[in-house]
Amino acid sequence: MLHHQLPWYVAGPVLGLCVVAARLLINGRLGVTGGYSEIVGRVLGRSLRFDWRGWFLIGIALGGAGFAIVTGGPDFHGYGWLTASLHGSDQVLIAPILVLAGVLIGYGAKLAGGCTSGNGLSGTAMLSPAALTATATFFATAIIVTFITTVIA
Amino acid sequence: MRSRLTGLGIGVVFGVTLSWSGMTSPVVIRQALLFQQAYLFLFFASAVLVATVGLLILRRRQTRALISKQPVTWNRESVGRRHIVGSLVFGLGWGITDACPGPIVTQVGQGILWGVWTLAGAILGVYLYLRRDQPETEPAVERPVTTMA
Repeated sequence: MLHHQLPWYVAGPVLGLCVVAARLLINGRLGVTGGYSEIVGRVLGRSLRFDWRGWFLIGIALGGAGFAIVTGGPDFHGYGWLTASLHGSDQVLIAPILVLAGVLIGYGAKLAGGCTSGNGLSGTAMLSPAALTATATFFATAIIVTFITTVIA
Repeated sequence: MRSRLTGLGIGVVFGVTLSWSGMTSPVVIRQALLFQQAYLFLFFASAVLVATVGLLILRRRQTRALISKQPVTWNRESVGRRHIVGSLVFGLGWGITDACPGPIVTQVGQGILWGVWTLAGAILGVYLYLRRDQPETEPAVERPVTTMA
């Protein structure tokens, strides 16, 4: 990493305050997947309006871009376990794996009504039983998948 | 207009924080999911704690939203099958890519080209869901509820 990791006791509360700010200012449920929905809805020409959630998503991209500019480039090179375990011509597999897994992320988050932010942060803070169940489920699943892929790789 | 600017502003803070905390990096996420690093869990738990306390205060004070002027309120959804099935599917994708929807966008924002593939997939996944004319599962703003839980 090209910079020091922000201490968790600063980064966590800042993220929590983002959830509170969205409620306080516009009574919004902060969720990143909602931003994806507004972009897709816009493309599909649905009634789904391109509103604050779409702009929230654009803001996240700008935040990432600004951060990379200030710290002098992207945070990392390669792509984690995929580029570490697939070598040479096998690397052509990485893009399709990422696209397929991306489909699971997008479709699953929509079905569940939120991702790590919508269900995990906002829904949990709302003390929503649905979000608490969703959060426990995706954390457990991701942990199991990670251990399995470690064995495979 | 002002709510869009609010969304944009919160997004920038969110994106910088995700980047600065290392959540953009699949290596950092993977170390957490293998229980090699406690950072993600401490980060997540402290975020949830602050958000929970903040929302409880807002709810107790029965405030109106400062910009949209709506009453600050929300519904607590009960558990349905889709929350479990959807989160199983989502968790599978998250465990493979070590990136969830926010970090996918900060990866692309930082210029990490691998993230473009994941982003394309995630957009396709959302499209496949919305194409079936499913109702929006994440209301941007909920209708005020009659009973306060």
